Formats: sequence, structure tokens, C-alpha cells
Amino acid sequence: MKKKSKKALLIILAIIIIEGILSIGLDHELQFGFDEGKFVIRNIESEKSIQDQINHEFQQYHMIKLFGKFTINWSVLRVILFVDLFLILFAALVRRKMHLIPGKLQIVAEMLYSFFYSLVIETVGEEKKYFTPYIFTIFVFIWICNIIGMIPIPGNLEPTRNLNVPLGLGIMALVVVHYSAIKEKGIGLYLKEYAEPLAFMLPINVVGELAKGISISFRLFGNILGGAIIILVVSNLTRFILIPVGLNLFFGLFIGTVQAFVFTMLVLSYTAVAIK
Amino acid sequence: MESEIIRAAALLGAGICMGFGAIGPGIGEGFTAGKACEGIARSPENAGLLTRTMLVGQAVSESTGIYSLVISLLLIFAV
Repeated sequence: MKKKSKKALLIILAIIIIEGILSIGLDHELQFGFDEGKFVIRNIESEKSIQDQINHEFQQYHMIKLFGKFTINWSVLRVILFVDLFLILFAALVRRKMHLIPGKLQIVAEMLYSFFYSLVIETVGEEKKYFTPYIFTIFVFIWICNIIGMIPIPGNLEPTRNLNVPLGLGIMALVVVHYSAIKEKGIGLYLKEYAEPLAFMLPINVVGELAKGISISFRLFGNILGGAIIILVVSNLTRFILIPVGLNLFFGLFIGTVQAFVFTMLVLSYTAVAIK
Repeated sequence: MESEIIRAAALLGAGICMGFGAIGPGIGEGFTAGKACEGIARSPENAGLLTRTMLVGQAVSESTGIYSLVISLLLIFAV
């Protein structure tokens, strides 16, 4: 078991290193992808003008056609799968040897988990502690998604930069909030709450509930995309000398961590309001 | 000619949108940080909780600025 997981880690590291080495080059970069059903490795001529470059950053293309108008954005899905693989591997490495006296990896995991455990308990109460795994997972996923853009591999963009990912997370959070509210209060009391102060407030309450999901997903999307565009513009102005490192530290690490935490806290407080 | 006028109006609108949209979050975030500073000065043992609450409040009040950023990006790239 131990050897297997170490081998898997080594294989992932080797893939990253090979992809990085292959894509070294100033004028063109190499990208893996699926094109019309076939796996291709090809050169992409990098655009000179900054307007074209920002346009290129916006349209992460590499669409896989499934059927009809249904397509999958492979360049986003690839990074999401990589994040998932990383999280699963981390969990497997931690779970492999659990001791009463924790090792280094177990201490990190326990610190993160117990922080969110105490947060959940002081927000929604002791008897609702079954929310902890969901809250913890959503934080870790968004956090890794936000800071993975700092690894300098071409095509390794933050998945949260695409609007579909935060919107999916927001819809998921709305479903969890309303399901737990119905489960807690019963359907009658839940529906009655929409007409709470006066009966004609019903449309405003419905729109308010929908706006919660849109608001948290657009906040995450706008922060990450704005930081990415600022990094791109400033790096182009300074010819990629030293300043982008500090910008990456601020926009990647700080803003990424804060926004992941804010998303998690808002989902938690929406849940606490809904089930009260 | 007409499309150029529309493009110029969209770019101008993006600038105005971002400029006015940044006023509110600036005031709000500064006010929140100042109040948090006062709270920490009054009770330094609650500094962690106050900082956490301050960050969440700032991010919420920042959202109007983010909306104006999204709208100005739409004006620049989608019009």
C-alpha cells in the first residue's frame, strides 16, 4: 500500500515535470488536449498583442463535442480532475496510517479539520455537526482550485476563472441549504417562511433566495478573474521580471485563500439562517 | 462608423462603471477595517475572531465592486 501510493505520487510528479519541460519556449507553447475525439499534442502560437492574449485567456477552448450542442470544456475539466486526484491522494496518504500520536501529515489534516469543526459547531450548533465534511470539502476544493494557477505550467489555469465552476458550486450550496431547511422545519413551515412579514413580499423573498447563489458564485469568479487579468497585464508591461512573483503571492495565495474561506463562511451562515 | 461609436461608448461606459463602482466598496472596507481595529484595541484577546469576521464582512461589501468589474468586462469584451 505504501509503495503503491508513493509510486502514484512519483508518476504525477513526473507528468508535471515532463509537461513543464515540454512547454518551455518563448514563442510557442505545447498543450495536451482532445481535438475532435483524438488525443493531440500541438503547438499554439502565442499571440503578441495584449488584447489577443486576454481574449485567449478568456476563451479556454479545447471543447469536446459529445452530442448535439452539448460540449465539455476539456481545458477546465483537466485541471479540476487534477485537483480531485490531488485531494484523493492526500486523503489516502493521511488515512493510510492513523495513529493516536499523529505524524506530520496527520497533524496538518487534523488542524484543518478541527478548525472547520469548531467553526461549524459555533455557527449551527453541536447537534448539526454532520455539516462539517461538506463545509471542509468545499473549502479545500476551492482553495486548491484558486492556488493551482501559481504553478507555472502553460494551460494550468484556475478552474474558478471559468464562470461555470463557481456557478455549479453555488447551485450545489443552494440545494444543500434548502434541502436541510425543508428537512429541519417540514415543507409547510418552509413555504410559509416566504410570505413571512406580509403576503405580497413573496416575489421579493424568492428573488432574494436566488440572488444568494448568484452573489457568492459571481464574487468568487470576479475576484479570481480580475486578479488573473491584472497579473497578465502587469507581467506584459514589465516583461515578466520579478514583479509578477509578488502579484502572484497577493492575488494567488492571499486572495485565493480569503475568497475560499468567504465562500465557505457564507454557505455556512446561509445554512444557519435557513435551519434556525 | 456606427459600430465604432458603439464600441467607443461601451469602452467609456466600462471606465465609468468601474470608477463609480469602486467608491462604495472602498468606503465600506475602510470603515470595516477601522471598526475592527477599534475592537482589537479594546479587547486584544479576541483578535482572531475579529479578524475573521472583518475579512468576511469586507468580502461581502466588496461584492458590488466585483459586479461592476464583471459588467465592465462584459462591456469591453462582449459588446
